[in-house]
Amino acid sequence: MKRSITLVSRFVLYLILIAPLLLFVAYTFSTRWFFPQPFPTEWTTIAFQRAVNDSRTFSGIAQGLSIAVLVSGFSLLLGFPAARVLGLRKFRGRKLVWLFFFVPTVIPPLAFGMGLNILFLRIGLAGTIAGVVLAHIVPALPYTIFTLSSAFARFDENYEFQALALGASPWQVFRKVTLRMMAPSLVVAALFAFLISWSQYLLTLLIGGGRVITLPVLLFSAASGGNPSTIAALSLLFIAPPVLVIALTARQLNEHGNEIREQY
Amino acid sequence: MKRIVFLFVALTMLLAACSSPTGGAPASPLPSGEGQGEGNPPVATDAPNAAGEFDLNNWDSVLAAAKGQTVNWYIWGGSDSINAFVDNFYGKALKERYGITLNRVPIAQTSDAVNQVLSEKQAGVDPGAVDLIWINGENFFTLKQADMLYKDWAQKIPNAALVNWDNPAINLDFGHPVDNQESPWSSAQFQFIYDSARMSADELPRSYTALKEWACAHPGRLTYIDPSGSGGFLGKRFLKGALYELSGGAQQWLTFDQALWDQHSPALWTYLNDLKPCLWRNGETYPQDESELVNLFANNEVDFSMTNDIAGAGRWIADGRMPETARAFVFDNYMIGDFNYVAIPLNAPHKAAALVLANLLLEPEFQAAQILPENGFGLGYAIDVTRVTDPASLSDLETAAAKLGDAATPAADLAKSLASDSAAEYQNLIEQDWLKFVLQK
Repeated sequence: MKRSITLVSRFVLYLILIAPLLLFVAYTFSTRWFFPQPFPTEWTTIAFQRAVNDSRTFSGIAQGLSIAVLVSGFSLLLGFPAARVLGLRKFRGRKLVWLFFFVPTVIPPLAFGMGLNILFLRIGLAGTIAGVVLAHIVPALPYTIFTLSSAFARFDENYEFQALALGASPWQVFRKVTLRMMAPSLVVAALFAFLISWSQYLLTLLIGGGRVITLPVLLFSAASGGNPSTIAALSLLFIAPPVLVIALTARQLNEHGNEIREQY
Repeated sequence: MKRIVFLFVALTMLLAACSSPTGGAPASPLPSGEGQGEGNPPVATDAPNAAGEFDLNNWDSVLAAAKGQTVNWYIWGGSDSINAFVDNFYGKALKERYGITLNRVPIAQTSDAVNQVLSEKQAGVDPGAVDLIWINGENFFTLKQADMLYKDWAQKIPNAALVNWDNPAINLDFGHPVDNQESPWSSAQFQFIYDSARMSADELPRSYTALKEWACAHPGRLTYIDPSGSGGFLGKRFLKGALYELSGGAQQWLTFDQALWDQHSPALWTYLNDLKPCLWRNGETYPQDESELVNLFANNEVDFSMTNDIAGAGRWIADGRMPETARAFVFDNYMIGDFNYVAIPLNAPHKAAALVLANLLLEPEFQAAQILPENGFGLGYAIDVTRVTDPASLSDLETAAAKLGDAATPAADLAKSLASDSAAEYQNLIEQDWLKFVLQK
């Protein structure tokens, strides 16, 4: 009995997760699907083909992916030391530092985006990939820092001391002890930064000034036109990379979960 | 500690509050002189770019300078069919005939491009990013006021000879003088759309009075576009048509007169408030733009849509957004029509290529192509057909007009009901007062 209830609730849960995706697929491959028809009557691949054959779609995906990967890398580089100190040390003004890192998540992107845009125009970063990457780091960094610092809060420095005592060089300690132990959290933090950058519309548009065109920029432009087939086709392409990345890292995340369970 | 934290939060909120208006109000004039740089000599904005010097009075020098350039055209990207039309027709021709690459930059709204140019002005960036903008009305006026438009060119391009520049509908853009700072691309006229599978042509209302009767006989089957919404342009057009009918004429609204407005506007609000209980969702909410109204219409929630396309429902049918039985129609009177334009920012990096493109838009073969719904654009001519002398081009234009098909309103009906848009000052009045007297009532 209990088993069948679990099965049914599992099925319902999966359905809830998958239903919006199915709707996207149905809209992508149909046209003139109007109320009160319960199912599409005219099937076509025109919208999907148009989206795939448009060279902008491809360059949008390529630019968006490279920006997201760079943002994710830089956020880790910047966030790792900050998170270590915040997670492991107690010092005067620690809460203030926390708040400082928290600020980008509460200030609307438009507020700092406009200011950044004018600054970047002056120093020649506006309309460049480098400028967009820098702008994306602002909202991405807090999430990397939070994820990593909570992992560091559970981190036992004695492992590092032990390795040092056994004669490992600081670089070896970092590589073989710290990085190994932090690996699952690093993956999660990188994923956060990747997702935030990948789905960024406003900052890309402001700083990119129409010259850096990522998939969300194309998607918003299509959404303003309201053609459900085009929007759905671009949406399918938009959710593909995050879904793939999560699927590939699911193992890591899962192991991470087990580890936490083992710890307590 | 707590106090420090509180102070910090307050400070950041203050900072956020200070910087946000920059984004929200594109229309506010920027401080003049800003962006010239402190102590720097002012940039000689009239000097042509070193890369491509040209003389506007010598078209060959423009063509020579434009060759090999990439023109960045900032254009609303919300319609696939318009995007495809721009790439397939102008993109190809620019490349093949003039060696120019077209970079179509899709934007969600024209004010995005305006903000880009204004930011560049503030930062003193020259050359900037934008070469050409599809523009009219308020956005044009904003850039013109900011002194950020390339001047005195629109009548110097060769095909300007085909445009009737004496027509006030062309040389005034919402009542603001165009002053040769923008060149027309196409024309539009307000029309309604119905589904011939749902109702027959003789049931259609042909005036605002008849529309009210129809709506109250069919409660919930009519709505109009929110005049204050993102696509409020068409909504305002619908209201202005009603104002014309209720005040008994269009001509008097061409110049701004507060007394005239005070005299006739109450009748408009009475009309709309009487209409309100008969509207979709009792007039408590309205579609924000044409696209939302099209969705309501196509999904059988309301019976009429609105459009500005000369091709009527043609582009929507080609786009798969409306049933193939959709048809356009007009009232007997007061269907407002106007022109839309392209403008070149003062700091455009490739002015020569932008000029060639603006000229190409007026080429008779492309004017003929743009009105046909199967090509995806569906707006009307900017040129005056009677000025075209080449017999082949003339026959192209006439054939195209004849081919518009069932989804469009017959040209004679359009011409008969055509009215000019009112002075620009009424735009805001209509929007503000509609919010006050209709929506919030």
